Amino acid sequence: MKIISIITESTNRFFETIGGLMNFSIRFFAEVFRSPYEIEEIKKHMDELGVKTLLIVSITGFIIGLVLGMQTQPVLARFGAELFLPGTIALSVIRELGPVITALIFAGRVASGIGAELGSMRVTEQIDAMVVSAVDPFRFLVVTRVLATTLMLPLLTIYVDFIAIIGGFVAVNITQNMTFPYYISLILDVLTFTDFIQGIPKTFVFGFVIGIVGSYLGFNATKGTEGVGRASTTSVVISSILIILIDMVIVRLTLMIFPE
Amino acid sequence: MKVKVENLNKSFNGLIVLDGINFEVEEGSTAVVLGRSGIGKSVLLKCIVRLIEPDSGKVFIGDVNVLDLNEQQLNEMRKNIGFLFQSSALYDSMTVRENLAFPLKRHTDLSEKEIEENIKEMLALVGLLEAIDKMPSELSGGMKKRIGLARSLILKPKVMLYDEPTTGLDPVTSKEISKLILDMQKQFKMTSIVVTHDMVVASSVADNIFLLENGNFVFKGTPEEFMQSDLQIVKNFLSQKL
Ligand SMILES: Nc1ncnc2c1ncn2[C@@H]1O[C@H](COP(=O)(O)OP(=O)(O)OP(=O)(O)O)[C@@H](O)[C@H]1O
Ligand SMILES: [Mg+2]
Repeated sequence: MKIISIITESTNRFFETIGGLMNFSIRFFAEVFRSPYEIEEIKKHMDELGVKTLLIVSITGFIIGLVLGMQTQPVLARFGAELFLPGTIALSVIRELGPVITALIFAGRVASGIGAELGSMRVTEQIDAMVVSAVDPFRFLVVTRVLATTLMLPLLTIYVDFIAIIGGFVAVNITQNMTFPYYISLILDVLTFTDFIQGIPKTFVFGFVIGIVGSYLGFNATKGTEGVGRASTTSVVISSILIILIDMVIVRLTLMIFPE
Repeated sequence: MKVKVENLNKSFNGLIVLDGINFEVEEGSTAVVLGRSGIGKSVLLKCIVRLIEPDSGKVFIGDVNVLDLNEQQLNEMRKNIGFLFQSSALYDSMTVRENLAFPLKRHTDLSEKEIEENIKEMLALVGLLEAIDKMPSELSGGMKKRIGLARSLILKPKVMLYDEPTTGLDPVTSKEISKLILDMQKQFKMTSIVVTHDMVVASSVADNIFLLENGNFVFKGTPEEFMQSDLQIVKNFLSQKL
């Protein structure tokens, strides 16, 4: 059957890519602590990442908070528990929605961008040019980008959490009259340290995955513009799948380590 | 530094591209490697700097076999070698200035000011000082070649490798680039290998000509000998190109 052979083939390719990603990650950790550090490059990439994603994550973050508030309000109202609405919004946003949705948007914008950028540098011999000028392209192109995504995604996530909570405030005020300080105080009543442990550290991992996947596929793009396109789209697919899988594992693990 | 290649072999999945190549380029002289498209000229150049790892053989630059070097030694050696790519390979996210500064910043102790002076001097030599703040996407093909040339010469290499310096350019610009190569040759006295299928370039810059066919050289000699050769394969090559 054709469908089965297609499935086995793409599964094989997926695991082949995972193997390559492992090697690439090992190489990253072997190189990242060695000088020269190319600080300028890292800053430049972080800047670009911010500019590239700020608007779209702001809009999405606000709407997520708003919709979450509007959806949850009637459910809580049924139990007469509307005062729990701010806390519920904040918990969902900080523990799960903020990190995962920001990471998925980041994957769409950034992993594809890195895949295309490094892919086109590969096929137009720019990476070879770096090699012959005695500069290690892995250090200059890959290490700097992966560091930038790893550091930038947590910052963006904190920002998105905040925006989403504001979106939630707007939702709350559709049905109730609540001041912002009171809204925040209701949130702070329920929020614990564990919620941040659930939410923030995993975004470093997501950022790393996005950087590594985009770099790996771009760096290994094969000849031609077709290869560049493929590196770009495959980067989004693979990093999105990995983010969701890793999220599942990390949620399970943190619940074991920090039981409620 | 002279360049000497001994019994160099390279094949890709059973396709033999280089089949026991031998040749020698005297210090300060220019060798031109001719051959039709797809015959392995780029592969030969890339094997010399180990962008492609040869299957076997020896590549001497000066007295050192580059195939014996470890990563770090190889990088030291590469600082002596300039490579002009077939596609120019300018870093397209950097301005012309940053492209030229890239090797200087990483391999010299020059101050910002000295780097700037070096860049301007080199751009003046290739006649493109006014392009210093442009991005590669704003340059024509011929301008890219010149900037690529400036970038590969900026560390004053002792060995220079040119991969098709004039392909894709009109005859007038081709002539200008060949003249530029000759000028650079006079100024910096490098040992050079020029890969091309352009006879105009070949006859104007070559001290020796090598014709590559089926994995090996079927002709070695001076440009005059090449033009007058009775070998059928040389005649075929010339009749197609002239
Ligand atoms: N990385 C590679 N993997 C597999 N095959 C390759 C690789 N690089 C080159 N080849 C093959 O080696 C042969 C020689 O290629 P090469 O690029 O050296 O040709 P060329 O003489 O430079 O041609 P042109 O004048 O068109 O640039 C071709 O058949 C090419 O398909
Ligand atoms: Mg070629």
